[in-house]
Amino acid sequence: MNGLQIFLSQALEYWPQIVAGLGNTLLLAAVATVSGLLGGIGVFYLTLSSNRLCRRLTEAYISFFIGTPLIVLLFLMYYGLPQWGVQMSPLTVSVIGFTLNVSAYNARYLMTAYRSLDPDELQAARAQGFSDWQVFRLVTLPQVLRLSIPALSNQAILNVKDSSVAFLIQYTEFFAQMQDLAVRSFRFFEAYLVAGLVYVLLVSVVVLAARWLERHYVLPGARRKY
Amino acid sequence: MDFPQIIELLGKGVGYTIGVTVACSVTGMVIGVAIAMLHRLDWKPLNRVLGAFVYVFRALPVLVLLFIVFFGLPNLGLRVPPVVSMMLSLGVIAGAYLSEVFRGALDSIDPNEIMAAEAMGLSRLQILLFIEMPQMLRFSVPGMVNEFTTVLKYSPFAYTVGIPDVMKEAMALSAATLRGVEIYLAVGLIYFAIYKLLVTFIWALEKRYRVPGLTEH
Amino acid sequence: MLLTVRNLVMAYDGRTVLDGVNFDLEEGELKIVMGPSGCGKSTLLRCLNRLATPTGGQILFQGEDILRPDTDVRALRQRIGFVFQNFALYRHLTALENVTLALRRLRRLPVAEANARARHELSRMDMLAHQDKYPAQLSGGQKQRVAIARALAMDPAVLYFDEPTSALDPLMAREVVNMLHQLRRDKVSILCVTHDLYLARAAGARVLFLDQGKILAEDEPERLFDSHADPRIRAFFRQELEQQRPEPLPI
Repeated sequence: MNGLQIFLSQALEYWPQIVAGLGNTLLLAAVATVSGLLGGIGVFYLTLSSNRLCRRLTEAYISFFIGTPLIVLLFLMYYGLPQWGVQMSPLTVSVIGFTLNVSAYNARYLMTAYRSLDPDELQAARAQGFSDWQVFRLVTLPQVLRLSIPALSNQAILNVKDSSVAFLIQYTEFFAQMQDLAVRSFRFFEAYLVAGLVYVLLVSVVVLAARWLERHYVLPGARRKY
Repeated sequence: MDFPQIIELLGKGVGYTIGVTVACSVTGMVIGVAIAMLHRLDWKPLNRVLGAFVYVFRALPVLVLLFIVFFGLPNLGLRVPPVVSMMLSLGVIAGAYLSEVFRGALDSIDPNEIMAAEAMGLSRLQILLFIEMPQMLRFSVPGMVNEFTTVLKYSPFAYTVGIPDVMKEAMALSAATLRGVEIYLAVGLIYFAIYKLLVTFIWALEKRYRVPGLTEH
Repeated sequence: MLLTVRNLVMAYDGRTVLDGVNFDLEEGELKIVMGPSGCGKSTLLRCLNRLATPTGGQILFQGEDILRPDTDVRALRQRIGFVFQNFALYRHLTALENVTLALRRLRRLPVAEANARARHELSRMDMLAHQDKYPAQLSGGQKQRVAIARALAMDPAVLYFDEPTSALDPLMAREVVNMLHQLRRDKVSILCVTHDLYLARAAGARVLFLDQGKILAEDEPERLFDSHADPRIRAFFRQELEQQRPEPLPI
C-alpha cells in the first residue's frame, strides 16, 4: 500500500520531533499532576478553615473550576491576555490552567474522603495537645490522601489525556506532532490512530502505577464509602 | 460593546453547545446501558471484549478520537458529519464511562428481588425493564451527573469540526474585537450557568422519581 | 489537691448542661462520676482539658486556673491523658506509632528513645506483642489498652476515662476493673466517667452522682447505691441495676 509506505517513511523522518513531543506531553502531565496535587491539598486545607468567609470563597473557587471547561481557561490566558499585553508561553499557560483546574478537583476528592474520617481521632489528637496544623499534617492528611488514592490516580490519568488539549493553544506536545505528521503525509487516519494507541499505552502505565500505589498504601481497615 | 452584548452575541452558540451535549449524552446513555445489559448476560468471551472496549475508550483522549473520526475516516472513504463525529467520539467515550457506573449500580441490586421476580414468572426482558433498569438508573444518578457535566465540559471541542457553538462564536468575536479576556470570561460564565442548570435539572428529575429508602440521602 | 472544680457551669443552645458542679480530686486518687444519660458526664470531662469551654465557674488543675484566656491550652492537654469511649486510635498508624506520635512530635524525643518509652508503656499494658499491628487488627479490649498506653506515655498528671466499658463486651468490661486497680497501684490519678454499675462498685473508689447538672452526692458505692437518703438517687440506681443485670461468666 503506497499510502502506508508514505506514512511510515514520514514517520521515520519525523521521529525525533515526535519523541520530543512525547516528552512535552509527559512533562505537562507530570507537572500538572504534582502541582494539582499540592494545590489540591492547599485548597482542601482552606476548606477546613475556621473563617467562614475563607470557606465560602474556597468552595466557590472549587465550584467554579469544576463547572467550567479547562479549554476556556486556557484560551482566556493564551488568546485573551496578550490583548492586555501579557504574553505567556503555551507551557506556562497550560501549567497555570491545569493547576487551577486540577486543584479544584483534587480538593473535592479530599473533601469527600474527609467525611469518612473518625472525628474522634481528630479530637484525640487535639486532646493530646497537638496544634491544628499538626492535627492536619499528622492525622487528617495521611488518612485523606490514602483514602483518595483511586480518585487522585484517576485524575493523573485524566491529566495525561487532557494534555492533548494544550495542542489547541500551540503547545508542541505529542498530539501536535502527530497532527503535523498527518498533514505532511496526508495519512490522517494512520497518524491519529497511532496517536490514540500511544495514549492508551501511556494511560496503561499510569494505571499500573496506581494499582501498585493502592496495594501498598491502602489504609488498614479503611471504610471506602465511595 | 459592553458585557451584556457580549453574552448576547455568544448566546447564538448556546443552542449548538446544548445540542451537542445532549446528543453526546444520549449516545453515552444508549451505549452505556447496552454494555451494562450485555454484561448481565454473563457470557465470558463477550465480557472480555466489552472489558477491552471500555478500557480502550476510557484511555483515549476525546480530541484524539474526534480527529480519528472526523479527519481520519475520510481516508478510508467515510465522511462523517460534524455532530455525528462528536457523538461517535465524545458520546462513545461517555458511554464507556457510564457503562462502569451502570455495572456498579446493577451489582447493588438485591439479587433476591430478581429471584422473586423469576419466581413470579416474569420473563428475562420484563425483569430487565421493570426491576433492574428502574433501580439501576436511580443508583446511577451521581455517576450520571458527573458524566453529563463532563460531556458539557468537553463539548467545546465541537469548534474544531466546524460546529458554531459558544466556543466558535467566542473565537470569532475575540479576533474581531480584540477583547479576548472579557469574551472568554463571559464564555466561562455561560458554561458555568449551563452546568448549574444541568445539575439542578437532573437532581430535580431524581427527586421526582425518588423512592424513599432506596437511595441513601 | 490535684484538681478542684468550683461551680462549673456549661450552657449552650439554650440548655444548661452543667449547673454548678463542685468536686475535688487528690493526687493518686480514683474517682468515678455516674449519672443518667445526658447528665453532662462527657461534657464535664471535656471541660477539664478545654476540649469544651464552660460558660462559668473555675477549674484549678495543679494549682493553675485553666479557664483563664491566656492559658496555654496545648501545654495543659499534654499533661492530661484522655481515653475516649471508642479509643480513637489513629488508624493509619501501628500501635507503636500511635504511642510514639506525641513523644516524637510534641516532646521531640529522638526516634530510639520514643520507641523505648512506647514499648515500655505497651508492655505495661501487655500489648508489646501487638506493637506492629494496626487498630483495625486489634480487638476492642486491645485497642483500649493501646489507648491507655498512648495516654500514659506522656507521663500525664491525671488520666480521664470517658465511658471505658461501653464499647467493650461484658467479659472485657471486667478486665477494665483490673486495669484500674493496676493503675491505682502505680499511683496514677484517675477520673472515670461511666454508667456501668459493676465498674463503679468493683473499682472500690468514691462515686460522684451527677444529675441535672450538679453533683448531688458523693460516697462509697455501697452506701450510694443501696441506701442513700435521697429517693431520686435510690430510684436511679434501682433502675440501673435492673437494666444492667450482670452476665453470668462463661464456664
